[in-house]
Amino acid sequence: MLGQVRVENLTKVYHTRQRKGLFKSTEKAVEALKGVSLEIRPGEVFGLLGPNGAGKTTLIKCLTTLLLPTSGAAWVNGFHLIHDANAIRASVGCMLMGDRGLYWKLTGRENLIFFGALYHLSPTERRRRANEIIDRLNLGEIADRAVETYSSGQKMKLAFAKALINDAPLLILDEPTNTLDLPSARELRAVVRELNRLGKSVIYTTHIMAEAEEMCDRVAIIDRGEVLALGTPDDLKASLDREEVIRFEGVISSRAGQAVQALPGVVRAARSAVNGHTQLAVVVHDQRALLPRLIETLTAHNALVQKIVPEEVTLEDVFIARTGRTLAEDTRVK
Amino acid sequence: MTAIANPTFRQTLSAMLAETRLRLLNITRYPGQLMMEIIIPIVFAAMPMLLGRATAGADAEANFRANTGTANYVAFLLIGSNAFTIVSNAFWHIAYWLRFEQETGTLEAVYLTPTSRITLVAGVSLYSALRALTTSILAYILGCLVFQVNPLQGDILLAFLFILVGLLPLYGVALLFGALVLKVKESNALVGLMQWGVGFLMGIFFPVVALPPLVRAVALAFPPTWMVNGVRSALLGVGFFFEKWYLDWAVLWAFLLFIPLFSVQVFHRVENGVRRNAGMGEF
Repeated sequence: MLGQVRVENLTKVYHTRQRKGLFKSTEKAVEALKGVSLEIRPGEVFGLLGPNGAGKTTLIKCLTTLLLPTSGAAWVNGFHLIHDANAIRASVGCMLMGDRGLYWKLTGRENLIFFGALYHLSPTERRRRANEIIDRLNLGEIADRAVETYSSGQKMKLAFAKALINDAPLLILDEPTNTLDLPSARELRAVVRELNRLGKSVIYTTHIMAEAEEMCDRVAIIDRGEVLALGTPDDLKASLDREEVIRFEGVISSRAGQAVQALPGVVRAARSAVNGHTQLAVVVHDQRALLPRLIETLTAHNALVQKIVPEEVTLEDVFIARTGRTLAEDTRVK
Repeated sequence: MTAIANPTFRQTLSAMLAETRLRLLNITRYPGQLMMEIIIPIVFAAMPMLLGRATAGADAEANFRANTGTANYVAFLLIGSNAFTIVSNAFWHIAYWLRFEQETGTLEAVYLTPTSRITLVAGVSLYSALRALTTSILAYILGCLVFQVNPLQGDILLAFLFILVGLLPLYGVALLFGALVLKVKESNALVGLMQWGVGFLMGIFFPVVALPPLVRAVALAFPPTWMVNGVRSALLGVGFFFEKWYLDWAVLWAFLLFIPLFSVQVFHRVENGVRRNAGMGEF
């Protein structure tokens, strides 16, 4: 089925040589994927989350036929990874390796038209698609300049544009906002969401938690070649069953504090004075569910709330809970 | 979805020409490189030419005729040096191309598309042939004019037939070395070794019959040796290896039928081996 990916027990073992002195070297096997199984549904944005060296890029390279898996099976857009490799290549739009996959001496438009030809689009269709993408991504001003004159962010945008040239039902984006400034990253995410609304499935790898939470319908947390957790960001966070704190600042009476404490779902509420204001720290299990009730109760008891600071469980907390490490760590096998 | 997994012949041809066009666009952004390719073969041929004149003096032409079958040593050396450019370009454009694209990341990018590798190699070969033939013909004519010999002598059409049939197996050999470059992840030393090795064996500045018998046998195993001798025989009458032009031409056809097919098989095997391990992106 178009837009669907099914991975069954995929493993990938690399063999590298370790140098020992001038002439000696020994071979070392590196298990980059250890029996990964997952399913990506048509029309969803699926996040692959993990630190550097977790196996995200290896998994993506297997799914895009750049690498042959050591064992296991996978189907991309309904095509078998080994038997229908060309059909997979034709039906996937990829942005891997950031801006490295571009011809720097050529202009952005020439790059897009060239890759259109490699996807066997007719000459008219290549030009039409290139113009359409250039307009959509606001690349008009730079499209006819050599790529070597682009900023890193502009190169990343062009690499993203290249992924759209074949109008594939499945987009695979590997860290697409790397090196982009904040407005450009926001713009790119908006385009991805728009494409997703138009029915494209997206595999989105990132190590930025907020981005994964914002973009993805479901997330797989990968570490050291294994899928440690898979689900919606909310489900993953809820699975931690950790207490959360919401801090209210303003003029809050003790009666209002007691009313909040009495609400079902509130573990405890503590009032204190901070910089001439009252602060009410409310400990809850599910702040998203409870926040409207808390505001309602405080308002009903004449509290003047000037600031609300929620301290939510993040996907990073989920990762730390599962691995005991942070996402900033590089887990590549040395 | 607009991309096509199983292209028609016309679509494949279009992708191949897109690869050729890409290379041509790219080289237009290095105009100095093309100028250099026209000048270097003339300078390259001028060195033994002037040395020959200095050592043989007035007897240069007679001595040369006695050993090669032609007195026109200027054209003989210019054909050799320009053929060397064609051979050298084939190795750099095919074998080094793979390594260069691997390093710049564009090899993985083209591997993500449904265009077959052989279509891409064919596109690069066509580019290499266009570039090398254009610069070689210009360099040959210019060299002949500089050294005051007639560039339009002999059977030009036959010379072209030898070049055209000789190019395909040459690109086949270059692809074979491209596969080796992918395997050992080293291009400069391998390409350098091959271009000079094959260049020497095909007789850039001398007739192949001057080589010791064993080395001559090795030289005859390479298509450029037959191509260069065919061109020299057609233009200057130095003599075909089998005396008749069509017999020498048939040997080139045999190379043409065997070497590209063999090279493609080897390339696919190496490529799958690379994909089984760390992939095209590791360099």
